[in-house]
Formats: sequence, C-alpha cells, structure tokens
Amino acid sequence: MWGDSLLIVFISICTAFLGEGLTWILVYRTEKYQKLKVEVERQSKKLEKRKEAHGDSLDKQHKKKIEREEERLKNNNRDLSLVKMKSMFAIGFAFTALLSMFNSIFDGRVVAKLPFYPISWIQGLSHRNLPGDDYTDCSFIFLYILCTMSIRQNIQKLLGFAPSRAASKQGGALFGAPPAQFK
Amino acid sequence: MSTKSKSSDNVTKSNGNDSVWKRAFLPNAEWPDKEEFLDVIYWMRQAIGIVLGLCWGLLPLKGFLGLLLFVIVNAAVIYVYVNNFQSVDEEEYGGMWEITKEGFMTSFAGFLVTWIIMFTGLHSTSEL
Repeated sequence: MWGDSLLIVFISICTAFLGEGLTWILVYRTEKYQKLKVEVERQSKKLEKRKEAHGDSLDKQHKKKIEREEERLKNNNRDLSLVKMKSMFAIGFAFTALLSMFNSIFDGRVVAKLPFYPISWIQGLSHRNLPGDDYTDCSFIFLYILCTMSIRQNIQKLLGFAPSRAASKQGGALFGAPPAQFK
Repeated sequence: MSTKSKSSDNVTKSNGNDSVWKRAFLPNAEWPDKEEFLDVIYWMRQAIGIVLGLCWGLLPLKGFLGLLLFVIVNAAVIYVYVNNFQSVDEEEYGGMWEITKEGFMTSFAGFLVTWIIMFTGLHSTSEL
C-alpha cells in the first residue's frame, strides 16, 4: 500500500512538471504573454499604490482616473486569460486522458489508509470505486488531488510562474487567476 | 527564468542589508518589499505543514483532533512569528486575516499528504 501512495506522489510530481513544462512551451515563453504579464503586474501595483494614496479622498478627478486604469487593467487581464486559455484547454484534455488512465490502473485499489474519518461529502471522493464500507480507505483520486494541490502550486511558485499577489488581487473575481490545480 | 530575475531583484533591493533568508530568521527585520515577507510566510507555512504531517504520522495522531491541532499550531506559529518575532504592522498587509490566509490551503494539502502517507506506511499494515 505504501508503495502505491509513494507512486502517486511521484506521479503527481511528474504531471505537475509536465503540465508546467507544456504551459511554458505553449504560453509562458511567448512574447505576447510576457509582455502582457509585465504590463498587468505594473498596472496592478500602480493601481494599488494609487488606491492607497487616495483611498479616502472623494476627489472626482482621482476617482475617474482610478476607474479608467481599472478598466485598462481589466482589458489586459482578459487578454492574458485568453492567451492562456487555448493551451490550457489542450493541456486539460491531455491531463483528463492521463487521469482516466491512472484511474483505471488504480481502480478498486486501496492506496492509503486515512488517519481520520472523512466527512460525508468528501467520502464520495475518498472512497471512489472502492469496495467495502471502511471509509478510512483512500482511493487514488483523493490522494492524487491532494498531492496536486500542494505540489503543483509550490512548483509554480518555485519556478516563478505563479501570478503575483497584486495582480490576482486587482484582477478581482472575474479574471483573478483561479487555482490551476483541479484541471 | 523569471525566478532568476526575481532573485536578482531581491539582491538589489536588499543591497546593504541581509538576504531574505537571513532576514527571515532575524528578529524585527526590515521588510521594504511586502511580497518578500509574504513569500517568507508562504514557504514557512509549507515547511510547517510537512513537518507537522511527519510528526502526526509518527505519533500517530488520528481523527479530527489531528486536523484541529494542525490548524491551531499552524495559525499560532505564524501569529507569534509575525507579531512577536518580526513585530510587523499587520495592517500594512491588509490585516491578520490576510497573513493567516497566505498559503494556508497549499500547506494544508501538503500536511494531509505527509500525514496520510506516514500513517499508511507506519501504522495501517498492522490493522489490515
């Protein structure tokens, strides 16, 4: 069982690197992306500073300026997500195929023992396709998702591909970078 | 690629001062760049998550108590580090909540993975 769980950690490290590598080839290294990223980051920081400086003032001129800049940032953010989108779709498809392959390999196999009793809405995931009623048995998909959540984001951050805090904060809910781990 | 440029940024920013690593372990260090400090908090969280996962797995701690203790210890360590060790003005970072949130989910996932794997390897075979 231990071998299986370590294998899953290894698989998710590999897929995280593979995913980041593919995204680098398709997106990160393109000039358009790099330009937009620098632009968005610069604007976000500028906007944040301006908001801090004039946060409480009700000056109409300042407000208008801030609004105009917000609009520009929004447009840039949209372009950025469009650039990302196409390749994300391609990678998403590839990963779904990979995931279903691993799923069938580990089908019905208990890969780990949970040290806690999962709450009911997690049981569907942690006990997926497993025989028996022992809900502390852990399925492949649950461990894989957990591994991906921690490993992928850390690798992104380590390689410097994660969006900066200012950009994701200013991007707001609409175009804020969604956590990419569940693809 | 961008890490390189980032680290060279750090070097120029902390010119005359110490490196980020050194400052992270120095009490009441100066943090001119907010991002740097938040990065320190982020990576500290990840380390805490993995260390606690290893400990809980070795002990072994089980059940809801393990999860609860992780959340408490994790938040407490960061709180003490920010308030007492570094004495940072939390308002500059958008309040204590923003600092508490920083990297929490990733650290929680890392903690769960190490806890589950240690527990599986050391304690589950005897029960099966």
